[in-house]
Amino acid sequence: MDPLVASASVIAASLAVGLAAIGPGIGQGNASGKAVEGIARQPEAEGKIRGTLLLTLAFMESLTIYGLVISLVLLFANPLA
Amino acid sequence: MDENNDATETNSEAAVLGGLPLEPDSSMQEYYQLQNELLLLSISLMVVGFVSVWMAYSLTTALNYLIGACSGVVYLKLLARSVEKLGRSASKVSKNQLALFIGVIVVASQLDQLQIVPVFLGFLTYKAALIAYMFKALSTT
Repeated sequence: MDPLVASASVIAASLAVGLAAIGPGIGQGNASGKAVEGIARQPEAEGKIRGTLLLTLAFMESLTIYGLVISLVLLFANPLA
Repeated sequence: MDENNDATETNSEAAVLGGLPLEPDSSMQEYYQLQNELLLLSISLMVVGFVSVWMAYSLTTALNYLIGACSGVVYLKLLARSVEKLGRSASKVSKNQLALFIGVIVVASQLDQLQIVPVFLGFLTYKAALIAYMFKALSTT
């Protein structure tokens, strides 16, 4: 592999993971915090709150996964090599 | 520590006096039901996807899809378990489920028999199940 392409791929992979994790990370933290707060206030609604949290987290984490796929493909199956 | 214990006792007394139902197991039934529904929906979509890919492409591609879909179902189960632990034994959502995904994609990229795209699209079956569940929930309300 061309060293320039290799180094650019590594930098791009790290940027893809890092940047893709910022937004979902903040969102997941906020959602989890509010959910725990809600459960503490209304323990009788725990099942409903946790269910909503599960759906929300699954949607948010898929955004991280997209960045992760790009970086893994660049590192292990680079189409530019 | 003592203050926390006092606060817990005061809350439970208030709840008992106020007649609030403080049964975590009964309130969690809805959550377990949601988990089961999502699991069943994911598995049924996985079967439909497997057969469709087999018909449209080949058995090899369909098996690749199946590997991705199975890992997606396990991923959803791990995420559900970590959400269940949140606020009880864990203070944040665990990231262990991402390790599963990384492992599957790395193995798919290293082995010649596996292809990345069908495995990844199979993994996303869980998301299709989530969207289907959301539409179902919206249509019933």
